[in-house]
Amino acid sequence: MSDADCLLPGQPIVLPTGPAPRLGRGVYEKNGQVRASLVGRPHHDGSTLAISRTRPHPPAPNSIVLGSVTRLSPVQALLSISVVDGVPTPPGEEFTGVIRVQDVRATEKDKIKIADCFRGGDVVRGQVISLGDARSYFITTARNDLGVIFATSEAGATLEPVSWERMRCSKTGSIEKRKCAKPEGL
Amino acid sequence: MAAPAFDRRRVNGPEESFPPVFEEDREVKKISKRTDRENGDFRPVFLQPGLITQANGSAYIETSKTKISCAIYGPHQSKNAAYSENGRLNVEVKYAPYSCHRRKAPIRDAEDRTIGVAIHQALLSSVRLELLPKSTIDIFIIIIESDGLEASIAAGSIAASTALADAGIELFGLVTSCSAFNEAQALMDDNDLWIDPTLEEAQAAKGTLILSTMPALETVTSVWQNGRMQPADVLKCMELCQQRCVQMHAIVARSLVDNNQVEPSE
Amino acid sequence: MASASTSNSGSNEQTPEAIALKAAVFQRLHPRVYLERFVAEGIRPDGRQISAWRDVSVNVGSISTADGSALVRIGDTTVVCGVKAELAEPELDAPTRGFLVPNLDLPAICSPKFKPGPPTEEAQVFSDRLHEALTSTGTISLEDLCIQPGKAAWVLFVDATCINYDGNVFDATLLAMIAALKNVTLPKATFDEDTGRTVCTRKESAPLNLKCLPISFTFGIFDGKHIFPDPTFFEEPLLDTAVSVVLKEDGTISSVSQVGADAVEQDALSRCIVEAKARHQLLLSKTIYP
Repeated sequence: MSDADCLLPGQPIVLPTGPAPRLGRGVYEKNGQVRASLVGRPHHDGSTLAISRTRPHPPAPNSIVLGSVTRLSPVQALLSISVVDGVPTPPGEEFTGVIRVQDVRATEKDKIKIADCFRGGDVVRGQVISLGDARSYFITTARNDLGVIFATSEAGATLEPVSWERMRCSKTGSIEKRKCAKPEGL
Repeated sequence: MAAPAFDRRRVNGPEESFPPVFEEDREVKKISKRTDRENGDFRPVFLQPGLITQANGSAYIETSKTKISCAIYGPHQSKNAAYSENGRLNVEVKYAPYSCHRRKAPIRDAEDRTIGVAIHQALLSSVRLELLPKSTIDIFIIIIESDGLEASIAAGSIAASTALADAGIELFGLVTSCSAFNEAQALMDDNDLWIDPTLEEAQAAKGTLILSTMPALETVTSVWQNGRMQPADVLKCMELCQQRCVQMHAIVARSLVDNNQVEPSE
Repeated sequence: MASASTSNSGSNEQTPEAIALKAAVFQRLHPRVYLERFVAEGIRPDGRQISAWRDVSVNVGSISTADGSALVRIGDTTVVCGVKAELAEPELDAPTRGFLVPNLDLPAICSPKFKPGPPTEEAQVFSDRLHEALTSTGTISLEDLCIQPGKAAWVLFVDATCINYDGNVFDATLLAMIAALKNVTLPKATFDEDTGRTVCTRKESAPLNLKCLPISFTFGIFDGKHIFPDPTFFEEPLLDTAVSVVLKEDGTISSVSQVGADAVEQDALSRCIVEAKARHQLLLSKTIYP
């Protein structure tokens, strides 16, 4: 990894001969010349040219986010997003997201009760649908791997997922309803 | 001259206090010949990104009598503004009370805002704000030691652009700035253009100019001209500053690459 | 000009960067559990032993516009302090005393938790405690600052600015203020009875006569029993309470203050004082002030 490979914003990138790659994050094209827009080394992901970054950045559509539930209402759950694409945001600088009742899961959308899916303080993994409005991003949990990943029971102990809609308290064994995310490795 | 009114949020001194008057200061200062460099050279610059660990990105710049620290916070959600397709850049400058010859009270005044506006103007066209809808980038600058307005604006812009690159915010290019002044009303030859004025030189100058450019794209982002300069001389001044900006860019590039080597990248 | 190259980055889960990122995510979501796990191993999150202090560095005299200046770093916490001397009329009820005006500024630049605006409650409390520490120990005799009784006296504005807030700002600031005061040279001032004005000269100047050099030691108490010297920004909100011990040069206690909600056992307080005295001896032997 030599010095010469680290590019700076504005620095032109020489492309190998062949079809022009798609431009991903961290690079841009102006007047026919492709240049870097971040400090870093460019790499190819398939046919896309990009420079990756590990600094905190705001959510974009299709970003995977982690957040904690701050408020519940019959039609939505408000989320305080603290991790975006695997990178934690600085403490005190969270983004606001909202999970609307129609975005909680893919099936039986009209029969959902928010209180059976989320409770205050739960840590939820979701995906950004769109930028939403001025105040919050629109988040969906309508996938097997999205939903509650961590919650505490009414007794104060950690809840473990039992099925996609149930969690069990590790201390008392009582069942509580949540929309769970499928744990990794299953 | 008088200290500001009683501020109940700070420990206060006496109602009125004055900076000391020295008997040696009675003569009027004139621009003296430079001993440490040529008229057309800027002073050696020390630039270090990444010193402020709490911030997303940061840079500290130091020349002989200027010390400026800059930190980037964000991009975070724009709090009280309407939805906007493009991100916002918010530049706030603060003088430390001991940064000037006369103590500056901690109240922000017009001078802080002037520098803030100048730096904002210099950086605005270099940031890819269209990638950051609904977001605001906060640029906070503290002037720890100041050597005049021109030096502060130029050094502040360089530090801010370096800090933005350090913060991983997508930029079209790095911005570097250079300040210059003319001593005589009309320039006889190129030697009458002086680069990188000190406080005394700037105060005694006829006209000053600060140029900010993106050398990688060969574009100018802002020109800030004050005082009396012939239009033809303004153009000559800009050309000289542009060359110096390219030299400055190499320094900025070096410091960013060195800083990137220290932390392993992905 | 660099050419884009194909590389394997990002696909290997167990790269050090990936592990560090996962740890950072855990730290963000479950800060208390994260800290408890470290404590169970006998270390703090930044890698030091539970009862260890961070390295301290002091640098003086680099700001030419200030009459005295110092830069102090405790770990990553960075505080710059500058002293400006001005002239004023002494107060009517204290005609032979000058003024010492210390202030700490916690600007938005130093931490994401501060926003631009007037001094926060935290900054105000710090400024007040610093004022208390400097005056109660008699660091400077205010009579030394008098130029002409009833007519002219020096005002020393001691302004500290935090540039990077990583916890334990109080200790860093007190150290910076004392180091900056030690660095001050005051020009000789003479009061002219006829014109009623004070004139100074740069040809003669003298340093301040500092009678006492107080140093402060701050501890955090976690889980009711663990004593963390020199807490960091991450640890501070998780602590039950914080204890600060200010010691004078000879090792006697100037003040002990406790900030925080939970009660502290008597034992913990005396342990802090003992630890502070030990650390004080160590710092004195290292001649902390250049």
